[in-house]
Amino acid sequence: MTGYLLRRLGVGILMLLALSVLVFIMLRLTPGDPIDAYINPSAPMSPEALAELRRRLGLDQPLPVQYLAWLRAAAVGDFGFSTQRSGVAVLPLVLDRIWPTVLLMGAGLAIAIVVGIAAGIWGAVRRGGASDLALSIFSSVGISSPPFLTGLLGLWFFSTQLRVAPSGGMLTPGAPFSLWDLLGHLILPACLLSIGHAALIMRYMRSSLLEVLGQDYVRTARAKGVREVWVILKHATRNALLPVITLIGSTIGIAIGGAIFLESVFNWPGMGLLLVNAVNGRDYPVIMCATLVIGACVIVVNILTDITYAAVDPRIKVAA
Amino acid sequence: MRNFGCLTAVAICAALAGPALAQDKTITGAFDVGPGGFPKGFNPLAVTSGFMWLKTYYEPLVVYDAGLSELQGALASEVAISEDRKTYTFTLAEETWHDGEAFTSADVKFTFDLARNPAAASVFAGRLSAIESVETPDDRTAVFTLTQPDAQLLTIIGQVMILPEHALSQMAPESIATSDWWSTSPVGTGPFKFSRYVTDQYVELVADEDYRGGRPKVDRLINRYFENSAAAVSALRAGEIQFTYVEPDDARSFDGNDAFRVIEGPSWVVNYIGFNNELDLWDDVRVRQAVMHAIDRETIVTALYGGAAEVANCGYTAEALVPGGIEPYPYDPERAKALLDEAGWDETNGSAPIQWLTYYGTPQAANVMAAIQAMLAQVGVNVVPRALDTPTYNSITYKVDGADPAQFALNYGGLTFGPNPAQLNVALNSSQIPPAGQNIMRVRSEALDGAFAAALGETDDAQANTRWQEVCRVMNAELPWATMWVANRYGVVSSDLVDFVWTPAPGGGPYADHPELWDIR
Repeated sequence: MTGYLLRRLGVGILMLLALSVLVFIMLRLTPGDPIDAYINPSAPMSPEALAELRRRLGLDQPLPVQYLAWLRAAAVGDFGFSTQRSGVAVLPLVLDRIWPTVLLMGAGLAIAIVVGIAAGIWGAVRRGGASDLALSIFSSVGISSPPFLTGLLGLWFFSTQLRVAPSGGMLTPGAPFSLWDLLGHLILPACLLSIGHAALIMRYMRSSLLEVLGQDYVRTARAKGVREVWVILKHATRNALLPVITLIGSTIGIAIGGAIFLESVFNWPGMGLLLVNAVNGRDYPVIMCATLVIGACVIVVNILTDITYAAVDPRIKVAA
Repeated sequence: MRNFGCLTAVAICAALAGPALAQDKTITGAFDVGPGGFPKGFNPLAVTSGFMWLKTYYEPLVVYDAGLSELQGALASEVAISEDRKTYTFTLAEETWHDGEAFTSADVKFTFDLARNPAAASVFAGRLSAIESVETPDDRTAVFTLTQPDAQLLTIIGQVMILPEHALSQMAPESIATSDWWSTSPVGTGPFKFSRYVTDQYVELVADEDYRGGRPKVDRLINRYFENSAAAVSALRAGEIQFTYVEPDDARSFDGNDAFRVIEGPSWVVNYIGFNNELDLWDDVRVRQAVMHAIDRETIVTALYGGAAEVANCGYTAEALVPGGIEPYPYDPERAKALLDEAGWDETNGSAPIQWLTYYGTPQAANVMAAIQAMLAQVGVNVVPRALDTPTYNSITYKVDGADPAQFALNYGGLTFGPNPAQLNVALNSSQIPPAGQNIMRVRSEALDGAFAAALGETDDAQANTRWQEVCRVMNAELPWATMWVANRYGVVSSDLVDFVWTPAPGGGPYADHPELWDIR
């Protein structure tokens, strides 16, 4: 197991390096000059002052040299300073934004997992019934609704029309911290984030459970007189969960993408909002760091998914 | 164990309940949404807008009234101007800084020395260049001596927020610009005191108990940040904020809703199509005239602005500044085609695509540009609109070395012409071509430079309007820009607010909105 983990981590670091090269090159391919992010457009600088600033920032060096200089500093945790926020170091800024994103994404995925699995089981057990049909329709609509659409519609309906949820932010401005306040702000974006994932999980869970319910060992359990609820929940569901776990692991990357949209719609102060603002403001150091942190999160989650998979199914040996 | 359980239960209950509903009076607004705002612009020397919010905790020496018609005292109780317009004497009001230190003329000198210092990344450095020195004969008097009369000086001074020398003088000008003092512990003299900034979320101010204009009627003022005006409108409708700037379409959706009041006013910004003078394409004035005749401005104003805009035939629309008898350039596509034929347009460009840049990202601007594109296509001018984010736009238009004028053969933008029309000078005078100023379309016109020089140097108030009429006449005849219109802008305020004052001033003013008098029911 340890050897497997080390190997996966090694591959993960190589993937992060490749990601950093890719993002670095893509940023340089965007129109304009990185130096523009450092100067005030309302107070244009003379060509001499601009050249001096370019030299000081190392932007007069060839691209590979610039990248290696960035990498050398990043290796010791120095991701530079935000160009949008005077004097603010990038790494603490990005790390501060992780937990709001984890909170939103975690809540959204938790809701999606609970609702998706429960609805999947219900749909499989009531196969062909009216409730199964209703859930199938929900599943099709949910899967085909991108987060920015559900986000905007949800904001309009629940905040503006019904006024049952705040229209944005993580806490009421100016109010002291309270858990209710946080939950009140969290519930709507988390539910909206969960829709697509719940629909997907439900669909997988339903088909997987239907397949398992036709297996011999399920028939044997029933023949032994085990109660139907127990047959479904203990014997069938556990085995039906295997493909669902794989799905959940692979959707975390998608969930991060969804969280980026929803954070913008709900002004949720997480990594997504930070990244969008950084892109809009050409804050290259923040874009580089935030992208890498998000990439690292996805890699770690994928490793954790593999380990969970092994724990749920004893037949699988991760080291194999 | 039981005690621990009880304590835990109490702690959870306390955390859940939380004193979320504070009993004090708070006004929350999206004060930095819209073109007058500058979200996260904390350093008042480095911003070009957002002055309405900054003035709630800083103050300038003088300020326009809420109608933007005349300047009045703020931190200066009186202003005396010498006959030759080269000496301005400010008598200062009695006031203390929010940290208890006395406000004196030394703060005024410190502020203007800093604002004129390019090392401090001050956007005012160029615009205050007429000031030769600031002297402080006593604590309550500041004397500004100018090298030459400058008609826009008082307007600029009205945007310079006075800063505390005792808090900033220890820092080098270079580090002042990048200091986190601005967003963590700034000290001003305004009716509200800075309390805290929650990164990217909001800024909170609290009432200054001993403000010279009286203690503010509300205890706290909160400026919430939003990604766009649509998000702010949602929060307004949900009752979470009491004010925001809104787009025209959103403003109409509040008609007949008694819970809100729509505030409408002129933007003081002229929208224009700028011709890049570096290109031979626009050399012939008949081509520029053809562009004017090809665009049905009246129809666009009616159809896309709901009538809430005024067609402009020079850089401004103020009645007193526009002379009679200037060319109105009515919509006349046949005339436009004839002018293009006379100018030999088919040979100089024909139907080749022409890059048309803008930094406007609103749906309305996209619609306006699409309409103009179709109208110009009808007379044989093939423009290709391209909306860019502001940094990219600036990187192309302000570029000095290796600039490619073909990349921005045309632009669609807006420029402030009020309350003082002198502000047009920075974008039209040949001395203001980048990197010196904001004449990004590289307008070079001796007649216009001369008209600006005469207007800016005019010392006789009675003659000032005549001078500006001459600037208008030259703009109208030479067409360095195809001027389009001056549109209205809107704010929506909750009916719960009392004595709240807002006007769509360019850059957010500042203007005398008296935040200390704002109240909430």
